Amino acid sequence: MQLRAEDAVLTDSSENWPRHAAGGAPTHAVEPAAMQSFADETPDDTRPCLTVEQLNLCYGPKQALRSIDMDIPEKRVTAYIGPSGCGKSTLLRCFNRMNDLYDNVRVEGSIALHGQNIYDKSVNVADLRRRVGMVFQKPNPFPKSIYENVAYGLRLQGINKRRILDRVIERSLKSAALWDEVKDRLHDNALGLSGGQQQRLVIARAIAIEPEVLLLDEPCSALDPISTLKIEELIYELKSNYTIIIVTHNMQQAARVSDYTAFMYLGSLVEFGPTRRIFTNPKEKQTEDYITGRYG
Amino acid sequence: MTTTADDAEVLARLDARVVSRRRLWREIRDRGFRYTMWIGGIAVIAAIALIFFYLLYVVFPLFRPARVEAVTSYPLPGGSTPTVLLTTEEYGEIGVRMLADGRVVFFDTATGRVTGEEKPEVLDSSPITAFGAGRQNQGLAAYGLADGRALVLKPSFTVSYPRDRRRIAAGLTYPAGEEAVVVDPDGRPLTILAVQGGDSKTTILAKTADQRLVMARVSRQAPTLDFGDGERTVKTENFTLPIETAHVERLLLDASQSHLVAVNGDGSLDYYDIRKPGDAVLVDHAAAVPPGAHVTDIRWLAGGISLLVADTRGVVTQWFPVRDVNNEYTLARVREYRMGNRPVTAIVPEFYRKGIGALDASGGFGLYHTTAEREIARQEVTDKPLRAAVISPRADRMFIEDAGGTLHYWRLHNEHPEISWHSLWGKVWYESRRQPEYIWQSSAANSDFEPKFSLTPLSVGTLKAAFYAMLFAVPLGIMSAIYTAYFMNSRMREVVKPAIELMGALPTVILGFLAGLWLAPLVESDLVSVLLYFLLVPSAVLLAAWGWSRMPEGVRHRVPDGYEALLLIPVILLASAVVMLTGPGIEDAIFGGDAPQWVTRHLGLRYDQRNSLVVGIAMGFAVVPIIFSISEDAIIGVPKHLTIGSLALGATPWQTLTRVVLLTASPGIFSAVMIGLGRAVGETMIVLMATGNTPVMDFNIFEGFRALSANTAVEMPESEVDSTHYRILFLASLILFLFTFLFNTIAEIVRHRLRAKYSHL
Repeated sequence: MQLRAEDAVLTDSSENWPRHAAGGAPTHAVEPAAMQSFADETPDDTRPCLTVEQLNLCYGPKQALRSIDMDIPEKRVTAYIGPSGCGKSTLLRCFNRMNDLYDNVRVEGSIALHGQNIYDKSVNVADLRRRVGMVFQKPNPFPKSIYENVAYGLRLQGINKRRILDRVIERSLKSAALWDEVKDRLHDNALGLSGGQQQRLVIARAIAIEPEVLLLDEPCSALDPISTLKIEELIYELKSNYTIIIVTHNMQQAARVSDYTAFMYLGSLVEFGPTRRIFTNPKEKQTEDYITGRYG
Repeated sequence: MTTTADDAEVLARLDARVVSRRRLWREIRDRGFRYTMWIGGIAVIAAIALIFFYLLYVVFPLFRPARVEAVTSYPLPGGSTPTVLLTTEEYGEIGVRMLADGRVVFFDTATGRVTGEEKPEVLDSSPITAFGAGRQNQGLAAYGLADGRALVLKPSFTVSYPRDRRRIAAGLTYPAGEEAVVVDPDGRPLTILAVQGGDSKTTILAKTADQRLVMARVSRQAPTLDFGDGERTVKTENFTLPIETAHVERLLLDASQSHLVAVNGDGSLDYYDIRKPGDAVLVDHAAAVPPGAHVTDIRWLAGGISLLVADTRGVVTQWFPVRDVNNEYTLARVREYRMGNRPVTAIVPEFYRKGIGALDASGGFGLYHTTAEREIARQEVTDKPLRAAVISPRADRMFIEDAGGTLHYWRLHNEHPEISWHSLWGKVWYESRRQPEYIWQSSAANSDFEPKFSLTPLSVGTLKAAFYAMLFAVPLGIMSAIYTAYFMNSRMREVVKPAIELMGALPTVILGFLAGLWLAPLVESDLVSVLLYFLLVPSAVLLAAWGWSRMPEGVRHRVPDGYEALLLIPVILLASAVVMLTGPGIEDAIFGGDAPQWVTRHLGLRYDQRNSLVVGIAMGFAVVPIIFSISEDAIIGVPKHLTIGSLALGATPWQTLTRVVLLTASPGIFSAVMIGLGRAVGETMIVLMATGNTPVMDFNIFEGFRALSANTAVEMPESEVDSTHYRILFLASLILFLFTFLFNTIAEIVRHRLRAKYSHL
């Protein structure tokens, strides 16, 4: 499968969307205080799940990521914010090496998943992607039944026993808060679901193979406010089991769902810290300007 | 967007008039385009509909039922003496009655006015005791006399055009001389007579009152140097045939004057070979009617091969001699027509076609066709028994004489009697064939042969060509589409795809003559190499791919992603070289140096030089670009987010391909195959030039075939406009049209469903 660098830019197109796409969502019932209770001043109260060191990435001659260094804590929600084209989606794709699919992409530096460099030659990319799941901004269920969509990852691993599939599918759909809505029509085509349901189905599909990390690339940008709320609640539920990294340019969303926030600008990591601190007391002026809406 | 002061001024200057004018102009343009598109679309549909309806218009008369209508009727011209032979000339304007008393009456068929009457003087010399008639289209007849002589006579017509109007003069000629021929040298009365004549020879066969069978053969030889006025030498030979004739009731000579059919009183037929009259041989004996029934008439069908036997049950049966594997003839009962329950009184064969009329004792007549095996028309003419009838040579008029002394003139509208569902698609027992078969043979050297219009071998030929072409093209087209769309580097793809699509623009006539003149001899001389090539090259490619996957990473990374296909070029060249070097050796070692001969001898398969293998390759070559191009588009069109979604779940590219990409692209690939099939079915030049165009019915890859399209191309120039043959060629085109229409419609329906299904992907 070959994609070109232009495609990579195209898939980022939603970053050009007007901010109110999801930003217009009302403040939800989720208590911000409760959500931010984990966040402390320093991110080292948990051990790092992913360690990024001196990561540089170029699309041909254009440098998209510059010397990124950061530790992503385990079983927490980390959000990336930043203006369009700042490289946050590119960085997210580095975590499961989806950037390999594009021509002319050069990566330097390392990302370690539980201490093992995922850019090492010995790493099996398919295996890595099973461990690091990903959900995209536009729901992308396969043109198969709901059941087969969730079963897909399992079948890839050679699991075809009906009994096991049934159990895992039920569990995954329950975890994704979709079970009650689809349990009577598991064998209907997944394309008949609404956008929000499709996105939860895709999340169920991703967690069915029990990844260690879940990457969410603007998962709510194509959804309506109610669906957005459901996904956000889901993220809150899931973080007790998974390390979650979410890219969003809805700052309220980042504030609502994440424990840690990273602000990126022009391919560099400007600031990274507990969400409450980033939003209330940023250290960098650029961060403050962005959060207060002076540019972006 | 920023608005400067100048812009504001521009906008401000637009007054209402300008705005409305622009709006109007925009409206006109919109409508103009809409109507142009609309007209264009309708025109395309109308053009196709027009082609379809034109084909239907030409084909329709084939299936229109025949009509008969009474024109007039009048008292028998020349009195009510029974007719022994009723005939007419080409146009059906002058009728001829040969009467039992020896008079020959000519009359105007439109009015019944007698225009002439003749009685040969010879017939006054001795009482008339017998009468015999030759084949219908010759008009030959003979009167047998009580003194053992017979007079052969024939009505003749000369057509002239004084003042541009047709004038037909009628008279009598005497093919065996004006004097009566001595048939029985013993001078006994002739009781039953048969006659048959050709250009130079006339045979008269008779049963005498004392139960002997005698024969006279009159040969007329023109002098070696004939200046037109030379006297012909006439030679008469007499024979007595060693045949028991006590039960013989009717005699019939065949067209070649070498075989004799005798009908016995018990309703059985004896078929004799009389080439050596002195020792005539009984070839076959067959019961023509069940016990209790009687034969009422026996005639030759046009062409002189089939015998028609009518009986008292109201049934007409068709018989002809069939040669078996030991080269021996038997009379085969081929088919029968039931007229009704009343006895059939006479059989009236058409002059040139395989149609027959039959008269019955209750005043009805029926029209039948032997090849089509169907009743064409059935009509009650009168309530009196019918005695004699003739269908004019052009088969458009019919004159029927009833026992009450009336002649009925009917008009026939019966242009295409030989066409029925059965004769087009079923197995038909054609004359002289051993069993019912599917045969296409539209023309022959003589005019009264039986046309064989079975569309089955042609349709099978078309499907056979398409089958072998698809066998070649589908795997190649789809596999290459998958590789190109999914694995190949995009820069290489930009070269490969247009190159393959360019192949589709190659005129098929070029492919056709390359296949016929270059490939076919090559395949014949190196059959083993060619077959080996199909086996070895794909295996070599698979082996090379497997070997490549086993290479160490370091080596594999030297070739950039998506360029691996280039490595196959040396592999294919190498495999081809191996095939070329070993092929002849294998052919020598296993197949005795001549594989086609080996195929014929050991597998029992015929081998034609221009065969389906050659067509499969050549037409496959024409179809590959279509299948490739549409499948490639379908695979490329699979939304990227599906592939990425699958890869993100830990699928390998291969798993993604088989489980998501092909699934999503499958309707597109299916429609590619269907459109390719439509192309293969309609393709003409390749099947015309690369096969022998023999309409055989089998799926042997080493034999040729004749396709519907090629058949139309070959025969259309030589078919007479509006003839049955012409219309059948249109019917073949219509079937071809329906074939391609069907395949393309299926493709289109599937594509639409796909679009509806995946519209929200």
